[in-house]
Amino acid sequence: MESMPLEVEGLAKNYPRRLGLSSFTAVKELSLSMADGQILGFLGPNGAGKTTTIKCILGLLKPSAGSIRLYGSPPAAPEVRRRLGFVPENPDYEDSFTPLEFLSMFARMRGLDDSREDMISLLERVGLSGWEGTRIKSFSKGMRQRMSLALALQSVPDLIVMDEPTGGLDPLARKEFRDIILEENQRGASVFLSSHLLSEVEAVCHRAVILSRGRVVREGRMEDLLRTENTYSVTWSPADGREKVNETVPAAELQGKLDDIRQSGGRIREVGPRSLTLEEVFLSATNSGGGGE
Amino acid sequence: MRAVWTFALMTMRSLLRRRTIWGIVLVIILALLGIGQVPSFDVSGQSRFIVEFGLFGLEMGALLLAIGLASNIYPRDRENRTIQPLLAVPLSRVRYLLGRFLGAAIVSGAAMLVGCLGLMLVLTLNGFEIPTSLLPATLLLLVEGWFLLAVVFFFSFWTSPPLNAPLTVMIFIVSQMSVREFVGLLPGASGLMRTLRLLLPHMDVFHIKDPIAHGIDVPLVYFLLAALYGIAYSVFMLSVALAVFRERDLR
Repeated sequence: MESMPLEVEGLAKNYPRRLGLSSFTAVKELSLSMADGQILGFLGPNGAGKTTTIKCILGLLKPSAGSIRLYGSPPAAPEVRRRLGFVPENPDYEDSFTPLEFLSMFARMRGLDDSREDMISLLERVGLSGWEGTRIKSFSKGMRQRMSLALALQSVPDLIVMDEPTGGLDPLARKEFRDIILEENQRGASVFLSSHLLSEVEAVCHRAVILSRGRVVREGRMEDLLRTENTYSVTWSPADGREKVNETVPAAELQGKLDDIRQSGGRIREVGPRSLTLEEVFLSATNSGGGGE
Repeated sequence: MRAVWTFALMTMRSLLRRRTIWGIVLVIILALLGIGQVPSFDVSGQSRFIVEFGLFGLEMGALLLAIGLASNIYPRDRENRTIQPLLAVPLSRVRYLLGRFLGAAIVSGAAMLVGCLGLMLVLTLNGFEIPTSLLPATLLLLVEGWFLLAVVFFFSFWTSPPLNAPLTVMIFIVSQMSVREFVGLLPGASGLMRTLRLLLPHMDVFHIKDPIAHGIDVPLVYFLLAALYGIAYSVFMLSVALAVFRERDLR
């Protein structure tokens, strides 16, 4: 059986401060894993340690403690890197190159075929059709993000790591990015998606991990995170024909409430566990959890 | 090796698209043209002057090229985040350093050869014979330039570009000193100074402008041994740079 795309165990990262006399803990005791073919949302407020974690996963930072395995191997292993695609946050890139030059050089460095047709169709897929010969220095932030996506998708990766891929993009571009993420996932790729856009994560992710002050404060399958065990939503129509009423009722009071509605002649339309929005889950997790430094 | 070579080509293209290299080449050419215009009291004196100052200009060119080309490569890659997708996916840190070094070394070599051709042209235009050892002497200066390039990469991994330049110039100056001269800078710590000096190359082995200017033939074996010495030091310096780079966190 093949190993999981990503396993992080007890990860910690400290940054030295004041010439090494003290340190700042960006991530502590972080453990997570993702199954093959999964889209994992990685959430957290600014400074929660998301980018630090991603950089540790990619081998750009050395963890202070803990272990990271990508498909059962350390991040630096060449066989793992071949299976990886990465979309960094706010890329700028060597701006004297054109997208075609960049893709061609990356293809050769990866040992891939650098056929012009493949690269043109890749640029078309990420919305850069017609810009293949223009130098990157004239690109907008959104176009640079699209360029990043093209570089990440070039090797048909098994695992795509994305750090705020849609930050600063317009709604249409965000939708296009989301569609590509879903297409890649349908192809079989696993996606590790760090994002501030909760609606985006809610729309595409199978699971989510919420980070606060360097620690995991909530994680689980999306439907489990959004479901509440102890609150119900009751929709009913009053006997006098007024408009439908929707009420949120604690589990302990549910039976009493239903009896009251029936006794008043009202008609119960729908009863079910109330679903939270990801924003509610996020706010409750990041306000209550995490602990201090 | 294909990845390193591709990355070296990428580095060359990127360097050739910057103004720095063209500025340095222009300075070298103007300096050479200027040397050709300096009058001298006798014909052999003028020929010696052109060769000596021409080779001196090329040595300064090697230093300028090393600093001008390489001091900003790594800081720029970090600033524009090109380094993140590069190191996260196709390149290891060894390949990154080798590719960047190789690209800069080839551009620096091409610029030095242009300088050497310029010097030959100046000699020819003034009606002087081109010394047979002029090209090998330029190649030795190029090897010196590669060592300086490795020094610049080493400093670029842990200092800022404005600090990199003076530190490299300091290494350049110190490497010209004899052990006695260097120890004389701090006689109280002669043991430490002697050890420090031994870590750095003796760059005077690359300077053969005097014998060439005076028409003395320099044996081929000298060129080969001196080139080997310089390449060995460049490899040593690159290994130290890699050791530093491997430990760097790319925040």
